[in-house]
Amino acid sequence: MVAKYKLILCAVEGEGALVEKYILVVTEKPDAASRIARALDSVGKPEKIEDDGVPYYVAQRDRKIVVAPALGHLYTVVHERGKRNYYPVLNLKWAPRHTAERGAKEIRKWVKAFSKLSKDAEVFVDACDYDLEGSLIGYSILKYACGDKEKVAKRMKYSTLTKTELEKAYENPLPHLDFGLIEAGRTRHEVDWLYGVNLSRALTLAAKRHSGRYATLSTGRVQGPTLKLLVGREKAIRSYVPKPYWIISTEVEIDGAPYEVEYAQKEIKKRVNADAIVKTCKAKTGDVKEINVRRYQQNPPTPFDLSALQTQAYSLFGYTPRRTSGIAERLYLQALISYPRTSSQRLPPAINYRAILKGLKKSRAYKSLASELLEKDELKPREGKKTDPAHPAIYPTGNLSEEKLSEPERRLWDLIVRRFMAVFGEKAVKQSMKVSIEVEGHVFYLRGRQVIKEGWMHFYEPYVRSEEVFLPAIKEGDRIAIKNIEREDKFTSPPPRYNPSSMLKKMEKVGIGTKATRADIIQTLYNRKYITDERIRVTDLGFDIVDTLQRYAPGVISARFTHTLEEKMGRIESGNEKRETVLLETVESLKPQLERFKDKEPTIGEELSEAIRKSRLQERIVGSCPTCGSGQLMILYSRKTRKRFLGCTNYFKGLCETSFPLPQRGTAKPLRKECSACGWPLILVRAKGKRPWRLCFNPDCPRKEERKRRNEMQNLQQKSS
Amino acid sequence: MKCRICNKKAVEKYCSLHTKAYKNIVQKYDEWTAATGISWKEYLNEVAANSNTGLWAKEVAERLLSETE
Repeated sequence: MVAKYKLILCAVEGEGALVEKYILVVTEKPDAASRIARALDSVGKPEKIEDDGVPYYVAQRDRKIVVAPALGHLYTVVHERGKRNYYPVLNLKWAPRHTAERGAKEIRKWVKAFSKLSKDAEVFVDACDYDLEGSLIGYSILKYACGDKEKVAKRMKYSTLTKTELEKAYENPLPHLDFGLIEAGRTRHEVDWLYGVNLSRALTLAAKRHSGRYATLSTGRVQGPTLKLLVGREKAIRSYVPKPYWIISTEVEIDGAPYEVEYAQKEIKKRVNADAIVKTCKAKTGDVKEINVRRYQQNPPTPFDLSALQTQAYSLFGYTPRRTSGIAERLYLQALISYPRTSSQRLPPAINYRAILKGLKKSRAYKSLASELLEKDELKPREGKKTDPAHPAIYPTGNLSEEKLSEPERRLWDLIVRRFMAVFGEKAVKQSMKVSIEVEGHVFYLRGRQVIKEGWMHFYEPYVRSEEVFLPAIKEGDRIAIKNIEREDKFTSPPPRYNPSSMLKKMEKVGIGTKATRADIIQTLYNRKYITDERIRVTDLGFDIVDTLQRYAPGVISARFTHTLEEKMGRIESGNEKRETVLLETVESLKPQLERFKDKEPTIGEELSEAIRKSRLQERIVGSCPTCGSGQLMILYSRKTRKRFLGCTNYFKGLCETSFPLPQRGTAKPLRKECSACGWPLILVRAKGKRPWRLCFNPDCPRKEERKRRNEMQNLQQKSS
Repeated sequence: MKCRICNKKAVEKYCSLHTKAYKNIVQKYDEWTAATGISWKEYLNEVAANSNTGLWAKEVAERLLSETE
């Protein structure tokens, strides 16, 4: 391929060109551009140039290479022509983002920079991330900013930003862009735009035309079905009626030490039966009837795909899927891990396991573990079933960080490194023991478990938890005395609330959204105030949105419909479906639903306006009134002075006059958390130029006294010094 | 007709959401009596006070209790 690049250069020189022509490498982000330029420059020191604030790099190899970054998507889908206040809008086109989005002014400079750089470029190379979004970013820049260069551009395909892999990808580029992926990407953006713009406009305009007040209401092809799933769970929780059951809590004594045993029947449905068991077995002695010992093997975990990494990071560190995605992206840009937006659970030998482990061995933390693996004759990872045509599973590159990592970055990197090593580990061997004790015809189990051989678990510490329960020496026929036996009243629980991590898993299971978009969709639902809290609760506004769409446009919130559409877009990628067909089908299904919506606009507007009003009121409620107990404390504004304060809602009924002052500068919002010192609800105050501040408005809060004393002490110390 | 609890459009006595909760309450009563032998009123008190009871079910139970008094 080097020869190919050179041939083109000769041809240019032959034509007598005076300006030195170069290879233009289009990248997705500035960080990636810098790394690619360093990898391609023969001495690793490319020249950084800034043109109107847009950085790009000039690298020298066998010829001049200009590496220019984008800022993610520079182009987006827009309405071809027309105003913002009507729907349906079905004519679309691609345009630079600064022409369509308010906060994207900067994009103009980047588009201009690419247009300028393309003029003297002879060869075009797309080096954006090799996935749907990356391919589309590169394609739209080459087509629109560089002037139809998508037809002649080559494609660099890589999974890590390491020098070796980047050089390899540069020397052996794909001869043309990945048009299957691009078509699928274009379709996805266009379909999402058709859904998002039309439905969001329908909702927003319906509410605005009724109330005269503007409020952004949005829904979309994935957003709607996701919210519907959450509403379904919320309904089940809110209408849940628990059932009673009983368990027998029992403790036995063996060699003077207490052990908990469990009654054979886990749940007892009638209270009288539970009482009878307790009465029969109280202070009795039983016989060991049987001892079952089971030895079993536990396979190593599979390598991380993005959703498994997000799930694990949530359960270990409490990071939301979106946060994990962002941290992983940063680690990728520092060439510490491979491309994270992958659904693969496979690690092909081509990534060179030994080289990675040798790289990791240079770190003191992994030296002994990596050495242990390197001593093996053969390194064979345990792999999962999921594959990804573009990238392998997430793995460490073997590079060590050049700069100090932030704590979240260090944690996530450590998790990825240890998981990578664990997949090469031996199977763990565990043993479980079940001792059956019979007391007056009733059977109790004493359970023990222990790890016989650590295997892969040794590499994955501290992220693997194995709680061992050791049992004393027991044999069949031994007599065991019941020390304590009680009936415990229990109630069945409602289905658990989703959290951002379990919701992401659910979306993946149902087949809506993509690995790159799911976390953002959940965040949008939070931003729109359709859901709240980490253990997700649907707000009244969220309920009303789903209710309205369910009645007037049921197709757009159907998870099955969205899933079918996802499948069709997957077929575009493999060349088995046409973009035009999918777009046409989308318009045909959307149009009648929007017409029905329009017919009912006044009714819908009234319902949504009421929901918005309630939601706005709800947002201002801080908690129960500490004085009367029955009213709610709310952020209110004085009609006379326009000043804000906290007042009890019972004031309007003439029942309570409780009020508290609030700071007048900045914003004040209920934090939905209680003060750890006095238990009163907290307010979050944000003022310009200051750090956000948690305000406890209780004038007698013990913490206030503490703070006052501390300040006095500090003042005294300052004075004396 | 409006829901006796939340003033939304009612199906019969309650809106569709509170109706669902009401049906759950009625349906679970048989299991509660088989398990504990309690009366309808005692049952409603238990449901209203239980921390696992959903918000709408609690509201319906409280409403039913106030109607029986």
